[in-house]
Amino acid sequence: MERAPVRAPLIKNLGFKVGLLLALTAALALGFFVYVLYVRGVFQETQKLVLVAANAEGVSIGMPLTFSGFPIGRVSRIALTEEGEARIEIRVPVKDARWLRTTSVFTLERPFVGAARIRAFSTNLQDPPLPDGAERRLLVGDAAEAIPQLVERVRKILDNVEAMTAEDSSLNRSLAHVSTITGRMAGEYGVMEGVLGSPENARHVVEALKKAEALLASLNEASRKVDALLAKTDQRVYGPDGVMDQADRSLAQIGTLLEDVRASLKRADAVLTDAQAISGNVRVASDDLGQLRAEIDESVRKVNHLINELNRRWPFAREAEVKLP
Amino acid sequence: MLTRRGEAALAWLGAWGRAFRFAAGALAAAFTPALYNSATRTVVQKQIYFTAWQILATFTAFAAVLSLVIIQISVSTARDFGLSDYALEVVIRVLVLELLPLLTALFVALRSGAAINTEVALMNINNEIRALEAAGVDPMRFEFMPRVIGGTISVLALTALASLMALVLGYVTVYGLQGSSLPDFGRVMGKVFTIPILLGLWVKCLAFGVAVTVIPIVAGLDAPQKLFFAPIAVLRGMVRLFFVLMLIEVAALALTYI
Repeated sequence: MERAPVRAPLIKNLGFKVGLLLALTAALALGFFVYVLYVRGVFQETQKLVLVAANAEGVSIGMPLTFSGFPIGRVSRIALTEEGEARIEIRVPVKDARWLRTTSVFTLERPFVGAARIRAFSTNLQDPPLPDGAERRLLVGDAAEAIPQLVERVRKILDNVEAMTAEDSSLNRSLAHVSTITGRMAGEYGVMEGVLGSPENARHVVEALKKAEALLASLNEASRKVDALLAKTDQRVYGPDGVMDQADRSLAQIGTLLEDVRASLKRADAVLTDAQAISGNVRVASDDLGQLRAEIDESVRKVNHLINELNRRWPFAREAEVKLP
Repeated sequence: MLTRRGEAALAWLGAWGRAFRFAAGALAAAFTPALYNSATRTVVQKQIYFTAWQILATFTAFAAVLSLVIIQISVSTARDFGLSDYALEVVIRVLVLELLPLLTALFVALRSGAAINTEVALMNINNEIRALEAAGVDPMRFEFMPRVIGGTISVLALTALASLMALVLGYVTVYGLQGSSLPDFGRVMGKVFTIPILLGLWVKCLAFGVAVTVIPIVAGLDAPQKLFFAPIAVLRGMVRLFFVLMLIEVAALALTYI
């Protein structure tokens, strides 16, 4: 016995709405299934590439093989070979296989952060294409493998630093010396104490310097005195009424006297000529002779006086000599 | 004391046993084409209409906002750490595989599960079920089985729509509004969705749908025939339902990642 349909007309287009929802859900589920098959490469024609590595750590199924940053294949299987090496099978869609050549190089990189990456490098795209099922070596570059070496080096550096900073290290000793020197520099005699090692030494130097200074002062004084002496001498000798002036005047007088003497002698000469010519008048002549002789005497006396004067005034020239004509 | 504890444990086990028996019976009925007729179809349609169609807009908007927030957080965090390559994968795994199915199940449980629980409890208290049986009408065929089918289909439909939207939002957030990155997107999808994962997701959603309807019905049927037991029956049913949903989720996670 069946119940009658329950008040169906209450909801408009009930069948249509529910049918739409059902159809949509079914289409989504089915479509998604087909899409997943498609993106997983089920409908794609692929070729196999086998990479052999010493270590497949970080490699997982579904991991991409990239070329120039673009995924061109996917890891489909990982297995261990009889030799204990990792055998990584990669499916490469046929349309992407043209990037792989017989000369291509494959690397596995494991960065510190993030998943490992398998990369392909083809330097020459003119080379013959990689055949299906080809087997190649996988070059492994592992950032984490460098860590132990890095740690070892850092440890050495730290050992050195420790040796340098130890209690009795040469660096510490040098620093202690520097500290001593700067301590001395801060003392009474400053840098000099630092350089010479003790305040006594520094004091000696300072005293020596002070003595040198006093010596210089007295030397200065002496040279000033010498200066004054020289100035005085200069004044005496070359100044007005100095020795030189007086000598000059005496010489002028000598010139005058000599003129007088010459004039007298000329007259005597004339008188002698007269005497020779006029031998008769001896009497007249003898009178004239007497006068002449008086004049000559006078002149000689004047010369004598002059010489005396010169001798007095010119003490340096002891051998004063006046040559009479 | 010990006896009481033991009795409680037995009662608890008995309730679970009845739930499983009922679920098995409902599923068996669902896969028996002879049991379908226009009346059953109408009840199924109405159940789907009330459970899925009525809340479609609200639920879609809610799921979209939640997805967008989670996508943004994941993508920007991944970018900060230089892991943008993995952002989309994380988003798909979190949203489509885990969060949206569970969220849909919770949403339907809160709205329709509670309603079914109350309805069945009241029918039980009012002796309607026995009356139907007396009248020769199989309550399983006309009352329970259509609800189980309708609820399950609703959960599946809502999950499918929310997931589709999350995928579209994820694509737009990561690649922008352009179609040229579809191969990249396809690669990530291919990486996340292996065939076992996809089938597991479907089974999980199916389990969510069945639990969301079966447990409230069993809880309603378990209620003693006193009116004041109705709220207690609903309470027990809902707690048990949430527990089962979590159990399914944890089991699915364990199967996927361990």
